[in-house]
Amino acid sequence: MIRNYFKMAWRNLWKKKGYSALNIFGLVIGITTASLILLWVEDEVNFDKDIVDKNLVHYVPTNQKYDGEWRTFYSTPGPLAAALKEEIPEISKAARLFTTNFMFASGDQGLNQLGAFADADIFDIYGLHFLEGSAKKAFKNKNGMVLSQKTAALLFGKHQQALGQIVQINKTENYLVTGVVKDLPENSTFQFKWLAPFERFTAGKEWTQGYENNFADTFVKLTPGADFETVNEKVKQILPTKTEDYDTHAILHAANDWHLRSDFKDGKIVGGRIEYVQLFSLIAIIILIIACINFMNLATARSEKRANEVGVRKTLGSGKRQLIYQFLAEAFLTSILAAVLSVALLKLILPLFNNLIDKQLTLGIDEPVHFLSLLGITIICGIFAGLYPAFYLSSFKPVDVLKGSRRQAGSSGFIRKGLVVTQFVVSIVFIICTIIVYQQVQHVKNRDLGMDKENLIELPVNGEIIKNFDPLQQTLTASGMVKSVGLTNSHALSGGNNGSGLKWKGGTNTEEILVSYRYVNSHFMKTTGITFKEGSGFNTAVENDSLNTIITESFAKLMGEGSAIGKRIDRWGDIYTVIGVVNDYLYGDMYANSDPVMFFNSPSEAQYMYIKTNPEYATTEILDKLKATLTIYNPGFPFEYSFLDDDFNARFKSEQLMGNLSQIFAFLAILISCLGLFGLSAYTAEQRRKEIGVRKVLGSSVPGIISLLSKDFIRLVLIAIILAVPLAWWFMDNWLQSFAYRISINWWVFAFAGLAAIFIALLTVSFQAIKAAIANPVKSLRTE
Amino acid sequence: MIKITELEKYYRTEEVQTIALNKLSFEVKQGEFVAVMGPSGCGKSTLLNILGLLDDPDGGSFIFNGIEVAGFNERKRANLRKHNIGFVFQSFNLIDELTVFENVELPLIYTGVRPADRKARVHEVLEKMQIMHRRKHFPQQLSGGQQQRVAVARAVVNNPKLILADEPTGNLDSSNGNEVMDLLTELNEAGTTIIMVTHSEHDAKFSHRIIRMLDGEKVTENILVNA
Repeated sequence: MIRNYFKMAWRNLWKKKGYSALNIFGLVIGITTASLILLWVEDEVNFDKDIVDKNLVHYVPTNQKYDGEWRTFYSTPGPLAAALKEEIPEISKAARLFTTNFMFASGDQGLNQLGAFADADIFDIYGLHFLEGSAKKAFKNKNGMVLSQKTAALLFGKHQQALGQIVQINKTENYLVTGVVKDLPENSTFQFKWLAPFERFTAGKEWTQGYENNFADTFVKLTPGADFETVNEKVKQILPTKTEDYDTHAILHAANDWHLRSDFKDGKIVGGRIEYVQLFSLIAIIILIIACINFMNLATARSEKRANEVGVRKTLGSGKRQLIYQFLAEAFLTSILAAVLSVALLKLILPLFNNLIDKQLTLGIDEPVHFLSLLGITIICGIFAGLYPAFYLSSFKPVDVLKGSRRQAGSSGFIRKGLVVTQFVVSIVFIICTIIVYQQVQHVKNRDLGMDKENLIELPVNGEIIKNFDPLQQTLTASGMVKSVGLTNSHALSGGNNGSGLKWKGGTNTEEILVSYRYVNSHFMKTTGITFKEGSGFNTAVENDSLNTIITESFAKLMGEGSAIGKRIDRWGDIYTVIGVVNDYLYGDMYANSDPVMFFNSPSEAQYMYIKTNPEYATTEILDKLKATLTIYNPGFPFEYSFLDDDFNARFKSEQLMGNLSQIFAFLAILISCLGLFGLSAYTAEQRRKEIGVRKVLGSSVPGIISLLSKDFIRLVLIAIILAVPLAWWFMDNWLQSFAYRISINWWVFAFAGLAAIFIALLTVSFQAIKAAIANPVKSLRTE
Repeated sequence: MIKITELEKYYRTEEVQTIALNKLSFEVKQGEFVAVMGPSGCGKSTLLNILGLLDDPDGGSFIFNGIEVAGFNERKRANLRKHNIGFVFQSFNLIDELTVFENVELPLIYTGVRPADRKARVHEVLEKMQIMHRRKHFPQQLSGGQQQRVAVARAVVNNPKLILADEPTGNLDSSNGNEVMDLLTELNEAGTTIIMVTHSEHDAKFSHRIIRMLDGEKVTENILVNA
C-alpha cells in the first residue's frame, strides 16, 4: 500500500513538472538554509565541549563597583587562586594564567606563539591530553614548558621529537620541553600554543604577590556534586576578607556559559551570543515554514484538479484516512527529493558560507546527529506541508465533485491568502531588518574615533625595539615613507590598563572613578592623530616628564571649572601635574563612551608600535622598507604587522555577520515567497481562463485583465506591509537598545521595504497575468 | 434487492428550496436490469447518488438487501458501497495517473484483497473486457470506447451485486456505445443487478423495465418483454 502511495505521488509530481519544480526548489532553499544555520548553531553550542568535566569547570572574573555601578573584569589578583582552593572545600583545583606572546627561536625569522604562564592545576581543570610527558611531572622543573602538538611539530618536525629539547624564547631565556599536549579544537574559548610554570613569570615581580593588582586569569574546578550557588556565594566572600574592599568581589562563570553567555551587566550575566544563536534558530524555522507554505498553497490551489480523483477514489471505496496518506505521501516525496538536492547544494555552498561566517564547518552527513537532524527536518517539512492539504482534499464529498458542482472556496481561499500574507510579512520584516542593521553598523563605523585610523600600521614591540628605538625611528622617518612612530603599552582600540583610587581637588568621589592608563612616547598623539585641546605634549627626554601627565577632555571636565593645565592628580601617593589635555577618543566598547584616560611618558613599557605612513608611497613599498629596517634593528624576530583600520573593522564581526546573514535571509525569504506567488498566480489565471475569455469577448483590454488578476495579490501584500511594519519596528527598536551609540529608525526604511515588496510581487504576478491576458479567448471558451 | 419508499431529497440555497426527489417509491429485484429516463433536472442523478450510497436522502426509506440504510453515516455507507456496488460514469472517471491495470485494481485495494489475488482477478476481468493488451497504458492513451470498457471492468472487478450506470454511452459514438451496452447485458445475464440512467431510448431498450421520471416523481413504469 505504501509503495502504491509513493508510486502515485511520483507520477503526480512527474506529471506536473513545473508545479513540482516550484515546490521542490522552494523546499530546497528552505532546507539548505535551515541546515546551514543549524550547523552554525551546533558549532556555537559545542564550544569548549572538549573540556573534560565541563560542568565542574569555572572561570573567575571580578565584579568591581565604580560610580555605583558593578562592572565585570576578566582579571584577578595573583594570590586569589590559592586562597579559593584552600578556603573553599568544594573547589578541588585552581589555576592562574597569564597570557603572552613568546618568540621561539626557529630558523632565521623566529616564530611568534601565543601561550600562557600557568599553574599545574590547569592540566586537570582542562583535562589536557598529554601525548608526551605527563601532567604530574611537566611543571616539576621550574624551567619546564608544555607545547601544543602543532607548535611542537612546527619547532621539531615531529611532536614526538620535542620532549627533552631546549627551546630559546625571545632570544634570552631557555626552557626545557617537558610535555606535549593534544591541540584544543578551534571552537575553544581558551587557546594556547605553550604553557610554562606560573612561578617563572612571578619570580622577582613583587607586584604579583599581593591583592592590589589584578592581572591573572583564574580558573577553578569544583568537586562533583557541589552546588553552584553555594560555592559562588563563598567565592564572593573571599576578596573582601583579604582586602577589606567591599566594592570588589570574585564570582564564578561556568564553562558552559563562557561562549554563549558572557555579557555582564551590574555584575550579572545578561546574555551574549546566545541571543544570536536563538535568533538564527528562529530564522531557520521561519524560512522552513515559508517554504512549506508554498507547498500548502499550491496543493490546495490545485484542489480543483484533484477533486475528481478524490471523488472517484471515494466512490470506489477509499476511506478518508487512505486519501490523507495518499496526499501526505506526495508531500513526503517532495520533501525527500528536496532534502537530497539540499545535501548536494550544501556541499557546494558550505565553503562560501564558512568564508562568510569565518568558521570551518563540515557537512558530515554520515554523522548520526547530522543525518538524523536532516531526516527530522525532512519529516517535519513533509508533515507540516502535507497535513493541511491532505485534510482539505480528502474532505471533498464524492457526490459534489462528481456532480461537478463547485466546491466552496471559502475556507481554503481564506487560509491560502493568510499564508501568502504570512510569507510577505516575513519577507518585509527581513528587508527592514537588513536595512537597519546595515545602517547601525555603518553608523558606528563612521563614528568619530577621536583618532585617525587611516595609514596606521601596528606592530608588536619585542626583542630590541625599545633599545634601538631612536635609530629605528630616524631611519624610518628619513625615508619619507613614515611620518611618525608612536609607542604605547596597550592596543589603541583596546580597553587596556585601568584603575581607580585617584585624588584631585575640585572633584567629588574621585577615588571611585575608573581611569585608563596609557604609557606612551612623546610621538604617540601625533602618530595616532589625537589632538591637543590645551597645553603641550611630552618631552622627548623622558626624565623631564616623570611626574607630568596628559589627560583626555572628559577627565579635564571631572577636574572642575577652568583650565586643567597645572592641576595636580594624586595617584596612589605620586603627585602628577597636568601639562596637556587631548580630545576624548574611542577604545574598548565601540558602541559605548570610553572612560577618561591618563597618559604617562614611559615608552619603556611599550607593547605596541604605531607607524603613521605617508600615503604618497605604495603600501608594499612601505612594508618592504619596514621589514628591512626591522631586520637591522630587531634581528631574529618575525615581521608581524596589522593595519589599524582592519583591526577596527574586525571589532564589528558579530554585527557584520548579522548584517550579512540578514541580507541573505531577506533575499531567500523573498525568493521563496515569490516562487509561491508565481505558482499561485499561474493557477488563478488558469482557473479564471473562462472568465478572462468572456471578459475579452465583451471588450476588456489587456491592461484591464492584468490589473484584474494582479489586484488581489497586491491587496495581500498591502495587508502584509501593515502587519510587518510594527513587528519590524518593535524588533529593531529592541535590538538597537543594546547599543549606547545607535541610530534612530527612519520612516523611509519602512516605505522603501513596502514599495520593494509590492514591486517584487507585481513583477512575479504580472508574468502570469500578462500571459493569461494576451491568450486568444476563442481557445479558452472552446475548451470549456 | 432494493426497495425505496416515499424517498425525498431537497436542495437548499439561501432563498429557494428545490425538490429533487418527491416521495419516490419503487422496487428493484435481484438480477433485474432497470433503465431510469427523464428530462434533465428530473432527479435521475440524485436518485442514482442515493442508490449508490454516495448521498443521503432527506426523508423516506431505502432498504438495500433487507437493511434500512437511509440513516447510515458516511463510514457505514462507504463500507457497504465498496463491497456491493460498482459504478459506471458518463465521463468514465478514470484516474489519469494510474494505468489501466491500476485503475481496475483500485477497488480491490480498498476492499483489502491480497496482491496476488488482485493480479489474478484484474487479469481475468481485463481478458473478459478484451483490453488485456492495454493494461499498461494510461487512460489518455485509449479511445473513448476503450476507456469505458476499463471503467466497466473496474465496476465489476469486485463482483458487486449492483451496478449503477450513469449515461454510460453518453460520451461514445454508436458502435462503441453498443459494445458497452452488450457488456452490461452480459453482466446482467450473469446475475448482476443493473440500474442505468439514460437519455437514450435505444440504450433503454436493453433493459427489462423503464422508469420514467419528471420533477422528482415517477410518471410511468414500462415493462419491456423482449429486452
